Order: sequence, then structure tokens, then C-alpha cells
Amino acid sequence: MTTGAQTVPAHDTVRAGSALPLALAARALAAACGQSWRSQFVFRASMWSGIVGAVLQVILVHLVWTAVYGSRESVAGVDQSVAITYAVLGVLATLVFQPFVFDTLYGRLRTGAIAFDVMRPVSAVPMALAQQLGSSLAQLPAAGCALVVGLALGAVDPPPTLASGVAFAVSITLGLVIAQIMNFTVGLVGFWTLEVGGAFLVYRMLAQFSSGALIPLWFMPGALRAVLGWLPFSAQIFVPISLYVDPDPGWHTVSAIGGQLLWIGLLIVLSALVWRRAIRRLVIFGG
Amino acid sequence: MIRAEHLVKAFSRPARVEGPLSSVRSLFSTRRVLTRAVDDVSLQIDDGEIVGYLGPNGAGKSTTIKMLTGILVPTAGNVEVEGIVPWKDRRANARNIGAVFGQRTQLWTDLPLRDSFELISRLYGLGREDYRRALDEFVDLLDMGPFMDTSVRSLSLGQRMRGDIVAAMLYRPPVLYLDEPTVGLDVVAKVRIREFIAQRNQDAGTTVLLTTHDIADIEQLAHRVVIIDEGRILYDGTLAQLRREYAPYREIVVRTREEPTLAHVGDIERTTTRPDGDDHLTAFRFDPERIPAPAAISRLSDALEVLDITSREPGVEDVIRRIYLSGSVGRDGR
Repeated sequence: MTTGAQTVPAHDTVRAGSALPLALAARALAAACGQSWRSQFVFRASMWSGIVGAVLQVILVHLVWTAVYGSRESVAGVDQSVAITYAVLGVLATLVFQPFVFDTLYGRLRTGAIAFDVMRPVSAVPMALAQQLGSSLAQLPAAGCALVVGLALGAVDPPPTLASGVAFAVSITLGLVIAQIMNFTVGLVGFWTLEVGGAFLVYRMLAQFSSGALIPLWFMPGALRAVLGWLPFSAQIFVPISLYVDPDPGWHTVSAIGGQLLWIGLLIVLSALVWRRAIRRLVIFGG
Repeated sequence: MIRAEHLVKAFSRPARVEGPLSSVRSLFSTRRVLTRAVDDVSLQIDDGEIVGYLGPNGAGKSTTIKMLTGILVPTAGNVEVEGIVPWKDRRANARNIGAVFGQRTQLWTDLPLRDSFELISRLYGLGREDYRRALDEFVDLLDMGPFMDTSVRSLSLGQRMRGDIVAAMLYRPPVLYLDEPTVGLDVVAKVRIREFIAQRNQDAGTTVLLTTHDIADIEQLAHRVVIIDEGRILYDGTLAQLRREYAPYREIVVRTREEPTLAHVGDIERTTTRPDGDDHLTAFRFDPERIPAPAAISRLSDALEVLDITSREPGVEDVIRRIYLSGSVGRDGR
């Protein structure tokens, strides 16, 4: 260690040459999350248009599903009010999860800014996740406005029981975690191919369909529904919202949440493996 | 201290397919070629040194720095920075090093400059008091007060570069890598940045490895230069020694009415003569170790009818250009 480090008073500072202690790392991540939240608010026009867009989407979904049902009370055993509640919540969840934004790492890879990320005392992975989370949370005002409109229109029913509400709160949080990990992992593909626009487009389409954000899995043919039920996409959006509209929570609720936890464990392992290989391949663009 | 031993970085890329339908065949080709961007580089930089790292474009400078920062994993060889192997222990290494890559920025472009510094202080676990003190000091030295609350995307290049330098030094790392920190800057901004680096080196003993294409950066900051080309070190030694070894001559240019006929004046050799208006300009060169400059000047004045006389030292730029062009200078013994 040189004199450079010694001129810094030792008390208040982490010693050079050691990794950050956990508490400080947590604060660092919170700061990263806040930074990316604030970045979303810099462009006020886009924030406002986001809010208007979200409200419009809720209104349109309400209109379409009402028309689909027409005079029928129930389709495939699903009541009209349940289907509309589901559809509106699906729109809002998609908005917040940003399930198709891979920019955090991939974008930084393209500009070469990733060089700085792997040089930080906080590992690049939690940093990227924290920033992803920050920009997701920045969608909350838009989602909140749209939710108020949905409630006012009578498009969204309150959860049928308190237990359904609680199960939903837990499950949607886990769904958010799953969405974040999956976005991140798919973004890592950029480390191999360097040009992934096409692959992302395909993934986005499949993911949006499979998560049940557009059409609830209830309405899908049996075999497809079974397959999609086994994929992690449904754990992001379909599972939490179906718990919300479930009038009779029970063991199946617990097992659904357990399934989400299982996915989180598996996905963390997978993304850690991918990351470990990715970082060794790292090629910084432009010399 | 930075230590690199027999460092190698090889990149492999798909081989070019030649001949008919080459573009289609290239889709199925599995042949790859290896290029060695850095080839057996050994280097030791002691605490508190400022070393200029020079080489033409594509010589392997940035690749070396990326291995020293831990961004790239070396193909072979050992690296140690402040006793830590950078790529193995990136997080511990991070607190010891600061880096400025002139062509990129580590700042968050959408937010005010101040927010980037704030976030960096969090990332490096700086105490509030230390952070404030460092920030005040650096902002004052680099005169950044007026644009601390401007968003980074609206800063001029010189302002942004100052921001990047402060970002790299806020946590007072003992080692600083500067990869073209003055690229594209005006003279005033360049001088300001050089002065700041020199001052940090003196006050805090910061070790600096500096790459640049601006020789003035090197002349004003570095005591030692390392020259690299095609991944290999061509020269490693002091600037003064570089001048002595590769440009031992001084030059005197004499203006005369008539073209001089003599080939030399004692040990002072005539090199070129060219007409300039009605006059002639003749260059002579001599070895200052054998003839002191004043003696050389007075001898020339005696021998010729001199209208004007100027003496100049060969610039480091000339020397380095010669080394780049020859590319075959023997390795220095360091």
C-alpha cells in the first residue's frame, strides 16, 4: 500500500484492498437503484406519456374484454369480472416488470461502459440488478395512476378474500424477482453473440405470450397450458394474478408460491453459471 | 506497485475465407486465427512513479491496461497490482485502482455530475466526511463548481473528462490508470489536467500509468517511458536516456547569404542545405558531449558569414517516431 492510501484518515473509510462489507454494499446497491430510478424521471415528457399510455391501455383492455364476453356470464369457467380484473392487472404487472428490457448490461456492453462495471468493489451482477429494479420501480407512478382509473371504471375487483390479497402481494413480489433474474440472464447472451436484437425479439414474443400477460393460461388448450405451466414465464405474471382472483385460497396457494421460490433458486444458479462464463469472454469494444 | 511478468493476451477471431462464394462459405468455416495483442510484456512500476506508456494505434497499450485493471483475463503470465491479482480478486483490486478511459465515461449520463460522484462514493463505501473533503478539494483544483449540477450529457468534452478524472480519484486509490486522458481537449484543459495529475502524484504519492498520443503529456508528467509495438516492449527507460540513446545529436541551423561549401567544421557535420528566399539555411549537427553548444555556435560563426543562428534539441516526438518506424530497437536492460 502506498502513501496515497495512508493520507486518508482510517476511521470512516473502508481499507483499500478489501472488498466492501455487506452493510456498505447494501447501501451501494440502494444508491444504484435510486440512481436508475431518478434517471427515469429525467425525461419528463416520456414519464407523462408513460402515464397516459398506461391509463389508455387499461381502458382499452377493459373495453375489449367486455366486448369479448358480450352477454355471456362466463367463458371456459371464468367469470367476466375475473377475466377483466386479470387482464388489467396483467397490463400493470407487465408495465412494472419491464420483462423485455435487457439494456442494463447489454447496452453497457455495446458502449464498452461494462469495463467500469467489472472494476467496481460491488460486483457487476447485483449492480445491474439493482439498476434494473430501480427503473422498474420508476414505473410505479404510471401503474398507480392506471390502477386508480381501473378501479374507478370498475374494471378491477378487490381480491375476494384477505388471504388472496396477501398471497398476491407475496407472489407478485416473487414474480418481480423472477422477471428481473430472467431479463438479466437473457441479456447475458450478448456476451457471446454481441448482436442479439433478433434473438431478443423472439424471446420477448414468446415470454410475453407464455407469461399469461396477454391471455390467461386458463383459455389455452390443455397441452399448451400444461407446458407453459412448467415454464418460469408463468411464474412471473400468471401465478400471482390467478392467486389474486382465487376466491378459495388453500394448500394450492402455498404450493404455487413454493413453485415460485423454486424457480428463483434455479434461476439464480443458472444466471450465476452463465455470468461466470460470460465474464471470462468479456471483450471490450473499441480497443 | 504494479508488476507484470511475461504477460500475454491472445484474441481469436474467425479466419477470413477467400475464393469463390467466400461470404457464404464463411458461415460454415470454423477456422480461427489467433492474434497476440500483448506478447510477453514484463513491467514493473514502483510506488509513486509516473510512467508514460506509448505506442502507435493498436500496439497493445489498452489491452495491457485492461489486464492490469482486471477487466481482461491474461492468456498467460502474471499480474500483481498492490499485491493483488486483479482479475482473480476484482472487488479488492477495485479499491486500489482508479481508471480513466478517455474515449468512454464512467459517469451516469442522464444525471447531474454531482449524482455520479455521490453514487461512486457509495459504491466505494466512502464515509460522508471523507467524501465531502475529497470532493471539495478536487472540485476546487479542477474548477468544476460551475457545472456540478449539469447533467453529464450536456457537459463539454473537457468538463466531462475532468468529471471522469475526479470519479477515478474520489476514493483516493494508490494506483491510477489514465488511457488517453487528454484526447480531444484544448490546450487549456490539457494543462489543467496535467497539473492536477502531477499534483496528486506529489501530494498523495499516486502511482500513474499514462497512455497518450500527446507527447507533451509525457514530457510534462512522466519520468520514465515504456514504448510498445505489436504487443512487445521496444523501450523501457527514462526520457533523458531515450533522448541520449536515440538522438545523441543537437542541431544548429545557420542562415547564410551564399551556400556553404564546406562539409564540416571540425567535428560539426553539415547535414542539409536549402535555399530560403535569397538566403540559404544549412543544418549542422554535433554531439553535445564532445562540443559544448556555445563552442559549436562560435566555431560556426567564425567559419561562415552567418546572418542568423538557431539551435534546437531533437524533440521526443522525433525520437519516438523513429522508434515506431524502425520497430526494431533492442530491449533496454531494465
